[in-house]
Amino acid sequence: MLKVKVYADRMSQPSRAVLIFCKVNGIEFDEIKVEISKRQQLSPEFAAINPFKKLPAIVDGRFKLFESHAILIYLASAFPGIADHWYPADLSRRARIHSVLDWHHLNLRHGAAPFVLHSVLAPVLGLPLNPKAAAEAEKILISSLLKLENIWLKGNGRYLLGNLQPSIADLSLVCEIMQLELLDEKDRERILGPHKKVQEWIESTRNATRPHFDEVHKVLYKVKEIIQAKQSNQGDGVMQSKTKSPLPSKM
Amino acid sequence: MGKLKMYTDRMSQPSRAVLIFCRVNGIDFEEIKVDISKGHHLTPDFTEVNPLQKVPAIVHGNLKLSESHAILVYLASAFTGIADHWYPTELSRRAKINSVMDWHHSNLRNGAVNYVIHTTLAPALGRQLNPKAAIEAEKVLLSSLKALEDFWLNGDDGGFLCDNTQPSVADLSMVCELMQLEVLDERDRSRILSPYKKVLQWIENTRTATNPHFEEVHNILYRVKKKLEQQRARTAETGTDPSNRMGGPSKI
Ligand SMILES: N[C@@H](CCC(=O)N[C@@H](CS)C(=O)NCC(=O)O)C(=O)O
Ligand SMILES: N[C@@H](CCC(=O)N[C@@H](CS)C(=O)NCC(=O)O)C(=O)O
Repeated sequence: MLKVKVYADRMSQPSRAVLIFCKVNGIEFDEIKVEISKRQQLSPEFAAINPFKKLPAIVDGRFKLFESHAILIYLASAFPGIADHWYPADLSRRARIHSVLDWHHLNLRHGAAPFVLHSVLAPVLGLPLNPKAAAEAEKILISSLLKLENIWLKGNGRYLLGNLQPSIADLSLVCEIMQLELLDEKDRERILGPHKKVQEWIESTRNATRPHFDEVHKVLYKVKEIIQAKQSNQGDGVMQSKTKSPLPSKM
Repeated sequence: MGKLKMYTDRMSQPSRAVLIFCRVNGIDFEEIKVDISKGHHLTPDFTEVNPLQKVPAIVHGNLKLSESHAILVYLASAFTGIADHWYPTELSRRAKINSVMDWHHSNLRNGAVNYVIHTTLAPALGRQLNPKAAIEAEKVLLSSLKALEDFWLNGDDGGFLCDNTQPSVADLSMVCELMQLEVLDERDRSRILSPYKKVLQWIENTRTATNPHFEEVHNILYRVKKKLEQQRARTAETGTDPSNRMGGPSKI
């Protein structure tokens, strides 16, 4: 069988979750870079893989699949030797993982992604900042973090649902939160600071998936530098450069 | 294991999907009504079942579970004798169903539920109608319908999502989502849905495959639809503002 192909942009958090999962579990794959900043996701070649033109997507033999949660479940089920804790065979444990993954879509993701876009990332993409949209998204983000802290991370386990080992849900949601690294330090602290369990959980997930976690997240720190450079330029009263930096788009 | 308990409000489309699923598959359960319009989802008793305070939720033995997709997948796996087409064992078919259900959240659901609230149901929830939010939601709804028509229902022998010839949990979930458009003004509903012939056919296919339970569980929606129609007719006659409170449904 041919190696599975993973179409990904490391600036996209669901892409990162899938890449880290493959690496941690020794799944052999080819990473095919699709750069959103270069609009490569709009190419006819990629549209033939995912007509919705979103990342990540995989091709396994003749089988094409998109939506990161569905991909993680498929990989955890289709490849041999993946430890059970990632996607437990026990139906109740599995069901609860589905539940938190479903919740993710219109809560944590719905808050974090637009918040980061509208409050810091937009200028990098040649778009204006949108404080009103950022404020809306911030509400969803904060209420999602509260629910993580008080509901999903309740109990003594280090991971979601009181689990002692990470599941695909931990990986997916932690990768989502990691984009907050792009915020300036004060903002990030204001948002994440009050949520101690969330912070510990990020660390636990990072530790459990090292060194791949850090390696795959490297790009975020590079982009952060670019954002900071732009911001200090503005601070110096220098005109914001109109040249398009080779940078990420909507993530 | 005790009998399955289903905490639901029939005005909520994910609640309807899980109820219909149980009925169609002969799963024995107790329906516990959680009336959102009366704030029953905020009570300590229900919060114990689902701290997120949303319906549907189930209790089955020691398991407390929320999120309708997770519930459907669990029921299809945990009960014996459920036909395979609802949630196929074969991994790639199962993966496609997971994929379309993931897509549902930020697309069809996000568009449909917000469009209906901001054009129609807000007054019933004690909120103002919000035309700006309605326009945003309409964009998401229309692009989702187009995606259903051109991609998800684009199979050769289909009839159901992902080129399936029999319904899956995804069909049930997403058709129930679309059914809430019934409460719109008829002209508006037709404007939105009529360009999408495959979608219309798919709603019918799903209805037929799950009747009489489908209709029975949707009855409440038809009653609200009637009430709203009468209200609109009165407004048209008298020119009064329709935005006074109706003793109707809450956020669905
Ligand atoms: N729910 C999807 C989200 C996919 C998604 O939104 N991908 C973004 C990157 S994070 C994308 O490809 N955006 C490209 C675009 O919007 O043009 C998943 O989990 O895979
Ligand atoms: N994604 C969830 C959605 C649950 C949901 O939003 N339920 C609504 C009714 S449709 C609710 O309980 N609303 C009460 C509230 O928001 O206060 C699912 O599929 O179960």
